[in-house]
Amino acid sequence: MKVLTPAGEPLDLMTVNVGPSHPATHGTLRIFAALDGETIVASALEMGYLHRGFEKMVEQGTYSMVLPYTDRLNYCSAMMNNIGFCKAVEKMFGVEVPERCIIVRVILSELSRIIDHMVCTCTNLVDLGALTNFWYFFNTREEVYKIWEKLCGARLTNTVTRIGGMYRDVYPDFASDVAGVLLKIESAVKEVRGLIEKNKIFIDRTRDVGVVSAADAISWGWTGPCLRASGVDRDLRKDEPYYGYDQYQFDTVIGTTGDTFDRIMVRIYEMIESVSICRQALGKLKPGPINTTDARLSLPSRDQVYHDMEALINSFKLVYEGVRPPAGECYDATEAANGELGFLIVSDGGTNPYRIKVRPPCFTQYAAYGAMIEGGMLADVAASLGSINIIAGELDR
Amino acid sequence: MSAHPPAAAAHGASTAITTQAIQPGLSAEQLLAKLAHFNPERDPRDRWGLTVIVPASRLREVVRHLRDDAELRFGMLLDVVGIDYLAFPDHRGARYAVTYPLKSVAYRHRVTLKVWVEEEDAKVPSLHDLFKSADWAERETWDQYGIVFIGHPNLKRLLNHHEFVGHPLRKDYPCQKRQKLSTNDPMVDQLEAQLKRRGYTVVERGEAHNGVPISAVGSVPLGDRTTATVKTSGGAGAVGAGAPATTGAAGAAPAGTVAGAKS
Amino acid sequence: MTYKPVPAGVTPEINLGDSFITTRVDAVVNWGRRNSLWPFPFGTACCAIEFMGVVSSMFDISRFGAELVRFSPRQADLLIIAGTVTYKQAPVLRRIYEQMCEPRWVISAGACATSGGFYDCYCTVPGIDEIIPVDVYIAGCPPRPEAFLEAVVQLQDKIAQESIKEQRTVGV
Repeated sequence: MKVLTPAGEPLDLMTVNVGPSHPATHGTLRIFAALDGETIVASALEMGYLHRGFEKMVEQGTYSMVLPYTDRLNYCSAMMNNIGFCKAVEKMFGVEVPERCIIVRVILSELSRIIDHMVCTCTNLVDLGALTNFWYFFNTREEVYKIWEKLCGARLTNTVTRIGGMYRDVYPDFASDVAGVLLKIESAVKEVRGLIEKNKIFIDRTRDVGVVSAADAISWGWTGPCLRASGVDRDLRKDEPYYGYDQYQFDTVIGTTGDTFDRIMVRIYEMIESVSICRQALGKLKPGPINTTDARLSLPSRDQVYHDMEALINSFKLVYEGVRPPAGECYDATEAANGELGFLIVSDGGTNPYRIKVRPPCFTQYAAYGAMIEGGMLADVAASLGSINIIAGELDR
Repeated sequence: MSAHPPAAAAHGASTAITTQAIQPGLSAEQLLAKLAHFNPERDPRDRWGLTVIVPASRLREVVRHLRDDAELRFGMLLDVVGIDYLAFPDHRGARYAVTYPLKSVAYRHRVTLKVWVEEEDAKVPSLHDLFKSADWAERETWDQYGIVFIGHPNLKRLLNHHEFVGHPLRKDYPCQKRQKLSTNDPMVDQLEAQLKRRGYTVVERGEAHNGVPISAVGSVPLGDRTTATVKTSGGAGAVGAGAPATTGAAGAAPAGTVAGAKS
Repeated sequence: MTYKPVPAGVTPEINLGDSFITTRVDAVVNWGRRNSLWPFPFGTACCAIEFMGVVSSMFDISRFGAELVRFSPRQADLLIIAGTVTYKQAPVLRRIYEQMCEPRWVISAGACATSGGFYDCYCTVPGIDEIIPVDVYIAGCPPRPEAFLEAVVQLQDKIAQESIKEQRTVGV
């Protein structure tokens, strides 16, 4: 492609497609770039290669049938999506789940956050050539998966929460298993930090690459680790605490420059903070009910169903129709691994959701990506793309 | 990089917001009071937060006020959400609504703005110059609902493919109505627009882009994978590993043609 | 040099001891092909994360020879589609398949690649066999890594029954 530069000089640009099938595009993204040598002069982004119609599909079934779809949003940390959705619906009902459920959800959230950060970091490092970290982190993820399997039978797409509580209570050895896996997580993080934190190659490839200033990040709507890496101290767990997060002692990890190095290191340090939150939560875990007893959400006990007419009808309606949130529009957000995961639920008082909009955190991060790479080199595309943690399931829904 | 709470950052003006802890925000009543001169109407549908109905004609004013006022400072537009009320029971009024959840980075308050959009005149002013996050969010709402955002620089499909006809999230679009794509969007025009924005003038397109969609060069269009017209030499019978269909690259041209060169 | 005729039943190999193995061409070729499958992970969604788990040390697909994941279709012979394929992605998948050289095989991993999964809507291709031929289907959402390994083993069995006399494909 022949162009004239702003100064009026002729220049021959090469156009290249990065993606949608590319090892560095995690998921299916496409970057159509015009290159002057190795420098990206302009780029056009395309997404939607994994648009699976989440928002249309959820309108076809009941609220409970939405849960498996939420798993597949951010599939690296599926439980956080489950928890986010259930929390939004429970907010519409005005129901507080029991204390034990809250603590279990916090533990599962933080462990999910850890494994999401692990995938993001290790695949990003693979793109930079540091393959060893991939093995270390994936082995640790397998340890966490063992707990997920014992808990609910599934490794990746768990669907572990239900509206009003959990699928079932945690298994008896859960606390000791989690305590054990936290030690393994700490050791894996320590090993990876040892490999990259002072590694000259890593620093050279990630320092000052893909810099996003704080003001830009806010205007782009960034949230989560990417926003914090740009120096903005905002975390929903601290700003608008839910599920008792204000009772836990943890630091928010903040970067200074907003470059790729900061984004990767923020995630690694956040893993350490999440381990600490998990330990504190385990300390608070006490026996008790796991599901709410609110009649609009939970099935009455079998004994009541057999002896009480109202309980029988309630059970019948819940099984056949599902839950019916009151009519209205509710937006609720949680601090997911990537940032603020929001659900805007429009209910018409019926059994099927009228409209559910997912506010995916990585949508805004990918929108900014074009501006981020322009002026940089092609090699930096791989480095910075991994650092913003695009999960196509969430991005495209 | 500092691992733990705010280090002296190297950026300048923005440190004022960023390193400060979040300040308590205004309540819903106080927020409404601050918007009093816009005659805001509170949406009763939102019983859990504050949703303010704003006419499309005043949207940009309200948003600018929310963003720039020192006590409000709604600096982050989280999303642009379209809603189609066609199938909503007992709904009277405009068919569509576009909601804008806003969040403040300085204060602990949130507000959602809602604009009613008529079916016949589905247009809303764009906010892309006020918030960078509005750019793609508005594109998505256009893609899924067909609501035009006046002033948007690049109102193109985002989630669905470029040959898609219709707006799938509308209530009258059947869920299972599939639409095939023959060739991917070459995106040359978008790239050229971006080059223009950066000050470059495009003099000549490369050969690959002249008229021919890039992915069509040398490729076979997606046709129906009907009978496998597998010709085996010497009558050796069925091919071992699954009979792949040929869509007639060597044989008859399929019904849907590929524009331009077929090698 | 005089020629000494070899008596019937005595093959030249007997004099050479264990230096030669006799076999059929097909057996050797298939042995080579099935034990050195080079996968191209066309990972789109959640199944790709499970595929990454298969590649990692706990499940270790390299035991079956399929260690070298190649991200170029020119260098790979096993196309593993792990994840949902949408209509937007379909021409890309088709093009990748076309770029692969023979012999090539396809594994459709997961419910979405096999049948569209539970995304029965306007944007999802109801099974990639609408676009490309598939050798092995893996059920699951996502399939366990052991299921991936089982699929590779089944594919290896399938390859063992092929013959180089048969032309694999024409035209495409």
